[in-house]
Amino acid sequence: MKYALANPLARWGAFIIGSILLLAFLAPIIAPFDPDAIDVKAILLAPSSVHWMGTDGLGRDVFSRMLFGARISLLVGFVAVGIATAIGIVLGAIAGFYRGWVNVVIMRLVDVMLSIPTFFLILAVIAFLTPSIWNIMIVIGLTSWMGVTRLVRAEFLSLREREFVLSAQTLGAKNLRLIFRHLLPNSLTPIIVSFVLGVASAVLIESGLSFLGLGVQPPQASWGNILTDGKEYIQFAWWLSLFPGLAILLTVLGYNLLGEGLRDALDPRTAKIKS
Amino acid sequence: MTRYLLKRLFWMVPLLVGISLISFLIMHLAPGDITTTEAGFNPKASEESRQKLRKLYHLDEPLLTQYGYWLQRMGTLDFGTSFATHQRPVFWEKKDEHGNEQKGLIQDALPITLLINVLSLGLIVIVALPLGVISALHQNGPPDRAITIFVFVGFAVPGFWLALMLMYWLGVAHDWLPISGLHSLDYEKMGVLAQIVDSAKHLAIPVFISALGGLAGISLFVKNGMLDVLHQDYITTARAKGLPENTVVYRHALRNAMLPLITLLGLSIPGLIGGSVIAESLFAIPGMGKLFYDAVMMRDFPVIMGILTIGAALTLIGNLLADIAYAWADPRVRRGVGG
Repeated sequence: MKYALANPLARWGAFIIGSILLLAFLAPIIAPFDPDAIDVKAILLAPSSVHWMGTDGLGRDVFSRMLFGARISLLVGFVAVGIATAIGIVLGAIAGFYRGWVNVVIMRLVDVMLSIPTFFLILAVIAFLTPSIWNIMIVIGLTSWMGVTRLVRAEFLSLREREFVLSAQTLGAKNLRLIFRHLLPNSLTPIIVSFVLGVASAVLIESGLSFLGLGVQPPQASWGNILTDGKEYIQFAWWLSLFPGLAILLTVLGYNLLGEGLRDALDPRTAKIKS
Repeated sequence: MTRYLLKRLFWMVPLLVGISLISFLIMHLAPGDITTTEAGFNPKASEESRQKLRKLYHLDEPLLTQYGYWLQRMGTLDFGTSFATHQRPVFWEKKDEHGNEQKGLIQDALPITLLINVLSLGLIVIVALPLGVISALHQNGPPDRAITIFVFVGFAVPGFWLALMLMYWLGVAHDWLPISGLHSLDYEKMGVLAQIVDSAKHLAIPVFISALGGLAGISLFVKNGMLDVLHQDYITTARAKGLPENTVVYRHALRNAMLPLITLLGLSIPGLIGGSVIAESLFAIPGMGKLFYDAVMMRDFPVIMGILTIGAALTLIGNLLADIAYAWADPRVRRGVGG
C-alpha cells in the first residue's frame, strides 16, 4: 500500500476519497443543521456564513444535505460494486478454473448482458420493482458484474498454467485449495483496481437515477436528487445545482485517479505498456 | 470473407436466445405477476389495463408457454400496443381495429436517436483522433498533460449535470441556443438552409453531452495505441529508410493504431443508446431514451419490453458492423490468417 501511494495519481485519489469518506462519516457531527429540517423563513437563501451552500426550496440547509448525501453515494457505490465483484469473482473463477462447457456458458451470458444497454436494463428492472436505495444497489450490482468476470477468468486461465500452481497441483492440492490459496490471492490486484473504478461508475449511475426520480427517494438526501430540485430553481438559485454536481465530479475523479494510480503502481504489465 | 460473416451471424443466435431469456426474466421479477405490482407511479392502473397485460403476455398460461409466446413476439418484432391513451403500436406501423394506419412509437423515435448517435460518434472520432495522436507524439509534454487532465475530468463529470449547466448558461442566461425539442415552432416555414441551422442549434448541446464520455475514452485509447505502435520495429524501419515523419506517423502508425478503434466504437453503442435517456428527457428530444423514460414512469410495460429488445438487437447489429468493418480494414482477418 505504501508502495502504491508513491504514485502521484493514487496519492491524489486517496486524498480526495479519504476526505470525502471522513466528511461522510462525521456528517452527524459536522452538519450545522438537521438535513431534513424544513424552515419556511429561510427558503432559497444564497450561500452565506450561516448556510455555507445556501438553502433549498423548502429552506433546508444544502451543506448538511450534501454531507448526508455523501453517505448515500458512498454506501450505494460500495454495496453495489461489492455485489458485482462477488458475482464476478465466483463466475470468473468457475469459468477460468474448470474451463470447458461451463466456461462457454458463462462467457455467453456475459456477452448477452453486455449487449443490453445497461442504463435501459437498470431502468427496466426498477420499473418492475419499486425505487428504493436497496433495490438500486442490488440492480446496479446485478447489471455490472461482467467486467470483473472477464478479468478474473483471464487471470485464472493464465495463472493455472504457471509453474507454482502446477507444482501445488502435483503435490496433491485440492481444487478449492488451489483456487483460494494460489489463484485468487494472485488475482487480487486487478480485482481491487476494478473495484475502485467500479465504485466511480456506480456513483455516477446512482446520481443519474436519483436525478431522474428513480433512485434514492426524497426526503432522503442524495446528490442526484438535490440536483433535481436544483433544476427547478436553476434561474435564481445556482447553488442548488452547482455543489452537488461538483461533489459528484470530485468523487468520481477521486476514485478514477485512485484506480488508475493503483493499476500503474501495482501492475507492472500495464505500467510498462503505458510508459 | 463470406465464411467469416456466416460465422459471426451464427454466433448471434445464442445471444438472441439469451436476450429473450433475460427480458423474460425481468418481466417475472416482480413479486406475484406484473399485473399485481404496486404501480408506484400510477395508482390508477385500471383493471382494464391489467386484463390487457394478462392477455398480451398470456400470463394465465404455464411459464414455458408464456416464454414460447414471448419468443414469437420477439421473432415477429410485434410488441403489442402502448398502454397510453393513444394506444399506438410499440414498434412499427399497424392498422388498428378501425382500419386506421398508426405509426409505431419506436419507428418515430429510433431515427432521432440514431441521428444523435451518429453525430456524436462523428464528433468523437474527429476530436479524439488528433488529441490522441498529439498526446502520444508529445508524451509527458504540456499538450499531453492538458489532454490527460481533460480525459480524467471528461470521465468524471456527470453528463446530466453538465447538460443542466450548459442549458442554463447557453440557453437561459444568454439565449444563444434553444433548450428543448428538435425544432423551433416555425420550422415548417423555414428554407432548407435555415432548417439545418435550426436543427443544428437544437442538437448542439445534446450531441456534445452524449459524446463527452466517449471523447475522453477514445483519446486515451488512441494515445495508448499510438504509443504501442510507435515502438514497433516496422516504424523504426520506416524512419530508417528516410520517410518523412508525417508519413511515418499518419500512414504507418495511425492506420494500425486505429484498427482496435473500430471494435471499440462498436462496443460503445449500447452506452450511447442507454445514455440517451437522461440527455433526451432533459432536452425533451423525442428519441428512444425519452420514450423509454416516459414508459418507465407510466409503467407502460409493452413499450419497456419493446425498447429493451430493440436496444439489444441494435447493439448486436452495431457489433456485427464493427466486426465487418474490422475484417474489411485488416487483411489478416479478411484472409483468415493469424490475428
